[in-house]
Amino acid sequence: MTAIILAAQGLEYRYPGDIAALDGLDLRVARGRKLALLGANGCGKTTLLLHLNGTLRPFRGQVLLDGQAVGYGGKALSAWRNRVGLVLQEPDDQLFSATVYQDVSFGPLNQGLAEDAVRARVSAALETLRITQLAERPTHALSFGQKKRVAIAGVLAMRPEVLILDEPTAGLDPRGVAHLLAALEQLRLAGTTLVFSTHDVDLAYGWADDVAILGQGRVLCQGEALATLADPGRLQAAHLRTPTLLALATALGVADGPGSAGPPRSQAALIARLQGRVGDGS
Amino acid sequence: MRAIDRHAWTNRWRRHHPGERLLLAGGGLLLALTLPPLTAGPLLCLLMGGATVLGAGVPARAFLAVMALPAGFLLVSAPFLAVSLDLSDGVHLAVSPAGAWLALAVTLRSLGALSCLAFLALTTPVAELVPWLRRVGVPAPVVEIALLIYRLIFIFMERALAGQQAQAARQGYSTRRRSLRSLGLLIATLFQRAMERARRLEVGLAARGYVGELRVLTPERPLSRSRLAATLGVLLAVALGSVLLDRGLA
Repeated sequence: MTAIILAAQGLEYRYPGDIAALDGLDLRVARGRKLALLGANGCGKTTLLLHLNGTLRPFRGQVLLDGQAVGYGGKALSAWRNRVGLVLQEPDDQLFSATVYQDVSFGPLNQGLAEDAVRARVSAALETLRITQLAERPTHALSFGQKKRVAIAGVLAMRPEVLILDEPTAGLDPRGVAHLLAALEQLRLAGTTLVFSTHDVDLAYGWADDVAILGQGRVLCQGEALATLADPGRLQAAHLRTPTLLALATALGVADGPGSAGPPRSQAALIARLQGRVGDGS
Repeated sequence: MRAIDRHAWTNRWRRHHPGERLLLAGGGLLLALTLPPLTAGPLLCLLMGGATVLGAGVPARAFLAVMALPAGFLLVSAPFLAVSLDLSDGVHLAVSPAGAWLALAVTLRSLGALSCLAFLALTTPVAELVPWLRRVGVPAPVVEIALLIYRLIFIFMERALAGQQAQAARQGYSTRRRSLRSLGLLIATLFQRAMERARRLEVGLAARGYVGELRVLTPERPLSRSRLAATLGVLLAVALGSVLLDRGLA
């Protein structure tokens, strides 16, 4: 049983106009793992993420960090946000500086680090996302994918223990997605806990360790990615579909691999398994 | 404006310390205001044009385009400076040699000063100058607002352009009447969007520990002594040249 670093208990939140965005939501984020929050448009994913770093305050319920309920005073919030970083979906909502370098330096400076330390953090964050060559570019001359990476670097430079990303792959081309996932994988290997929201079941299936399915302002179910996504009923209830790879593997009869290997989680794995079957002559 | 900004970010001198360019432009401005204008004006135009085009590698067309608009105003207003109006004994309009000299002097002096500003605008992004403003004592809130406006202008222009294109694609500008209506709708929408965006930007900044101060670091750029010395030398040469030439002309 891995330690729970961040948790939500019975969150309730309403936007003005009486729409219940969160309605008794429970969530557990295990330390050092990749958690996908999966849900259709308008199911409350972003609202939930805004609760996880204290931007929104629930009407009822609480958020726990290392098992302790967090406070909403200035000091408590600032300590909270030092540990839990949030990257918004729209990078233009986050980038305010004229140049990439300036923007990435903003977070670490707010953490009260000395100038040298800030410069080191900025370089390292740009390096991780492979955008060092963009450092001196004006923010307004970047492509969408570049802006997205700069926005992530700006939060990364603060070295959060938990990195929360709202729809990190939305609007990126396939190469952009691959680069982003590679950078995030590097972070996870370094021990960062990752939480990301998405409506892309294939992304959740291929990449997440754990999945939480959101619907009607609640977490309908949460668990290990494979087990959670293997149940079509649950997915349909949340207006989602079965991951393509899983559906194909099941239809082709290769969902259960040799030994105790589970279903293939990448295109390459599925192809390898199919070729293996042809090779066996079975 | 976008063209000026693009050159400012991409020219050859972009990675030099902005103070070096500020010295050249500021020094030139000082010379334009103090030296005999008949010679200093043209010399400064040549120097700034040369620095922009040959030094920083900005196309000559861009430099001339930036100079053209204010120069046009100057040329239009110069004739009026040459004319003198005498009301002591009825209304007398006269063009005097002294008036013509004055008009020429003012025009050349202004052109010289303008060339310095054109050089600075085309080689140095506003965002590079703003942190410097803070160092010379402009209050932090003013500097922060200037930086935010600089950033948001581009987002705003992008949105406005996209909105206008979307309206045009649906025949929103096919008649004058519709154009007026579409433009009104666009402005109303942009205002609302700007408010929403401001709120979301606040969330984004708060997530990164914003508590009321927008502090950022810029990459370190060493001041080059040799370039500073060269700049001073060139300015001195212009000063001497213009004084000597002026004596020669007189």
